[in-house]
Amino acid sequence: MRRGQALIDTLRARPWGFAAVIAIALLIANVVARSSFATPSSWPATLATFAPFALAAMASTPQILSGAGNIDISIGPLLNLINIVIVAVLIPHGLGSPWVAVPIALGIGAVVGAINGVLVAGMRFQAVLATLCTLFVLEGVAQKILPNPTTGTASWLAHLGNKVGPIPGALILIVVPFLLWFALGRTAYLRTLFSVGGDDAASFSAGVNVTAVRVIAFTLGGVLAGVAGIALAAATQSGDASQAIQYTLPALAAVAIGGTSLLGGRGSLIGSVAGAAIMFLIQTLLDSLAVSDLWLQVVYGMLLLLAIVFSSMLAAPRAVKARTA
Amino acid sequence: MTAARAPAAVPPAAPHKAQPAGILLEVHGLAKAFGPTRALRSCTFELRAGEVHAIVGENGSGKSTLVKILAGVHRPDAGEVAIGGRRVRGRPSPRAAQESGVVTVFQEVLVVGPQPVLENVWLGTDGVFARRVPVAEKRRRAEEALGELLVTPPPLDVPAEALSLSDRQACCIARALVRDPRVLILDESTSALDVATRDRLFATIQRLCAQGVGVIFISHRMDEIQELADRVTVLRSGQSVATLGRGDADTGVIVRHMTGEDHLTAGVETVPSRARVRGEALLSTEGLRLHPAAEPIDVEIHGGELVGLAGLEGHGQDAFLQALRGAGANAGRVMAGEEARTEIGSPLEAFRAGVVYVPRDRRAESVFPTLSVLENFSVPTLGSDRRAALVRWRATRRRLGEYVQRLGIRLAHPNQPIVALSGGNQQKVILARWLAARPRVLLLNDPTRGVDLGAKRDLYRVLEQLAGQGVAVVMVSTEVDEHVELMDRVLVFREGSLSRTLSREQLSRTALISAFFGESA
Repeated sequence: MRRGQALIDTLRARPWGFAAVIAIALLIANVVARSSFATPSSWPATLATFAPFALAAMASTPQILSGAGNIDISIGPLLNLINIVIVAVLIPHGLGSPWVAVPIALGIGAVVGAINGVLVAGMRFQAVLATLCTLFVLEGVAQKILPNPTTGTASWLAHLGNKVGPIPGALILIVVPFLLWFALGRTAYLRTLFSVGGDDAASFSAGVNVTAVRVIAFTLGGVLAGVAGIALAAATQSGDASQAIQYTLPALAAVAIGGTSLLGGRGSLIGSVAGAAIMFLIQTLLDSLAVSDLWLQVVYGMLLLLAIVFSSMLAAPRAVKARTA
Repeated sequence: MTAARAPAAVPPAAPHKAQPAGILLEVHGLAKAFGPTRALRSCTFELRAGEVHAIVGENGSGKSTLVKILAGVHRPDAGEVAIGGRRVRGRPSPRAAQESGVVTVFQEVLVVGPQPVLENVWLGTDGVFARRVPVAEKRRRAEEALGELLVTPPPLDVPAEALSLSDRQACCIARALVRDPRVLILDESTSALDVATRDRLFATIQRLCAQGVGVIFISHRMDEIQELADRVTVLRSGQSVATLGRGDADTGVIVRHMTGEDHLTAGVETVPSRARVRGEALLSTEGLRLHPAAEPIDVEIHGGELVGLAGLEGHGQDAFLQALRGAGANAGRVMAGEEARTEIGSPLEAFRAGVVYVPRDRRAESVFPTLSVLENFSVPTLGSDRRAALVRWRATRRRLGEYVQRLGIRLAHPNQPIVALSGGNQQKVILARWLAARPRVLLLNDPTRGVDLGAKRDLYRVLEQLAGQGVAVVMVSTEVDEHVELMDRVLVFREGSLSRTLSREQLSRTALISAFFGESA
C-alpha cells in the first residue's frame, strides 16, 4: 500500500508516467487478446503503422508547450502533403535518394511550421484560426498534386517501413525527435521554451525573446511533421490526398493524454508518444477482439474517455480532509 | 528643487566611469497615452550614482507607466531617456533595457510557476539557443543572491510555485541582482515581502548604492521612503511636480505635493474615532488548529468590530483567515450566521452565511482580466439584477454607480476593461464587488497592499462605515500602522498559533512588533 503510494508520488512528478503505465497495461492486454502481438516478426509492421501517429503527436507538442493557447492543427495535412511529395513528386522525378528526399521533406515542414509561427506568434492571429487556414491550403495543394491515390516507393523507404538491419525502421524514425530534443536540451532553448509557456509575461519582462521562442517552436513542430511524413511514406508506400486530416485531432488528443498541459509550460515529448500509444493500442485491441466495425468508434471513444478519467484521477492530489472532531 | 535640466547640459556620450558621482539616468519630458487616457504627461528627473531615488504619487499618477517605459515595455510618445549620458534610441524591449544596465523588479510577482528557482533567477539571461553563463556559476550566484535576501533560501531545484509569495518575489529580486545592474528599479517590490526579507533587501540596496548603483524606489509606504530615500520625486496626474532632498521630504510635505492640496492630512494620523458598538457574535472558532502541532484557537468576533490579523509573514494569519472562510483548517470548527451557530465547511457555505472573502493576490485570485469593470463588479451578485431570466444591465450599472461614488473609484466608463484601471482602482472595484453582496462578515487579505495613500484613506473610511453598520471586519495586514490606526483588536500569530491578542488600548507600534517576535512589550 505504502509502496503503491510512493509509486504514485513518483509518477505524479512526471505527468507522462500515468500515460506510460496505461500504455504498458494496454500492451499486455493486446498480447493476452492476441498472442501473435508479442511475436518479434510482427513488430516492424505494427511499429510502422504506429510511427506516423506517434510522430504527429510529437510534432504537435512544442507549439502547445509554448503557451498562450498555441496549437497547430495543420500538422496532419502537413505530414500527409510531405508523404505525397515524396511518393508522387520526388520519386517519379528521380529525386528519390534519401540524401535529397529527406532534406526536402524536413525543409517543407520547417518552412510551413515557420509560416504558422510567424502568423501566430509574430502577427498574433489566433492559433486555431491561423493554422486552420494553413490546413486548408495544405489540403488543397495535396489534392492538386495528387488528385488520385497512387503508390510509389524506394528501397530506403521500404527498409524504413520494415527493418534497417535488425532494427524496425519505424523505431529509428520515432527516436529522431528525441535526439533533436536531447540536443536542444543541451542548449538554452528547451528551458526557455518551458519558461515562455509557463508565464510569458514573466519571461518577456525578464528579457526573453518570446516571439522568437514561439516561432522556433512552430518551426520545430514542422520539422517533426517532416519526419512524420517520411514515416507515413515508409508505412504506406503510397499517397492519398483524402487522408489529409486523419491525424489532426488524434495527435492533439495524444498530446493531452500524455500529460502535456494545453495551457503550455508543462509537458513532454515522451508523454505524447505514450498518449499516442494508448490510442493506438486501444484500436489494435479492439481489432484483435473483433469488435464489429459498426461499434468500433463508439467503443474506441469510450475506452479513451476511461483512460483519460483514470489518468486524471491518479494525477490529482488526493483530497485530504482530516477533520477529526 | 525641481530637476528640470536642459538636455544640452548633459555631456554627450561620456562614459560613465569618467563621472563616478555623475548622473546614471536622465528622464526628460516623458509622456505616454493609452487611447484617451494620458497616463504620463511630462516626467522629468535624474538619477545620480549611489542614490536611492523614490518616486511617489497616488494611484494613476503615472508611476507604473514611467517604470514600464524605463524597463523597455512601453515606448514613450514624447520625451527622452538618457542612460549614462547616452540618449536611448531604437525599439525598446526589456532585453535592451537590461543590456544598458537598467534592471526592473515589477510590482507583480513575475515568476514562471512550473520552472525551478534557479531558472527563475536566471530567466532571460541566455539567448534563444546560446547559454551565456555556465551552470556552476549560475548556481553559485543564485545561491549568493537568495542567501543575501532570505534567512532560509529555498532549494534551487524546487518549482517557484511551491514557494510563498514573499519568497517568489525574492526570486524576482535575485533575478535583478545577478544581472549586476547599474540602475535598479524597484516598483512596489517590497509589498509582497515579509518583514525580514524587506530588511535584508534594504541592506542590499545600501550595499549596491555604496558601489555606485542608482536605485529608483517606488513604494506606498512612507516609512520605507523615509528610511531609504536620498531624494523623492513626486508625480501628480502624470507630471513630476517636485524633487525633494532628504531633509525636505517629510510625510506631510510629500502628501501635500501628491494631492496638490494643503489641507489634506498626512498619512499616519489617526482617523477620527467612531462610536464603537459591539453587536452579536457573527463568527466564532472552536478548537481551531492551523496545523496539527498548533495550539487550538477559540475566538469570537462580533458585529461592528474591526479585527486585525498580524504577525510575521507566514506565521498563520493567512491560514487563519482562510479557515474563517471554511477553507483549510487542520482541525476544529468555524461557526457563522445568526449568533454564530451555523458550522461552515466550505467557502460556499461561508458565503451563504454572509461571510465574504476578498483575496490578496489581485492578479491571480480576483480580477477577470478580459472582462469589463461592470462585469467584474457584478459577478457574485448578478442575480439581484434579474428580471425573469434576463439581466438588466442598467440596474447593475446603477448599483456600481453607488460604489463608484462611495469608494471614489476613478473610471472612464463602466464598460472599460478592468485592466485599464490602476492597481488601487482595481482593488476598489473588487471591494465593491464583495460589498455588493451585503456581507455580515468581511474577510480582507491585505487589501491595501500596493495601494496609494489616497485610496487607503478611502478604504479605511469605508471599513469604519461598515463597522458602524454592524458588519464584522477581519483583516490581514502587513502594515503595522494600519493595525494601530484602525483596529479594535489585533490577533497576533506566531508559528501557526494565536500568540497574543491586543486590545485597542494596548495597541502601539512597539507592542505589536514585540508581539511579532514573541516578546511582550
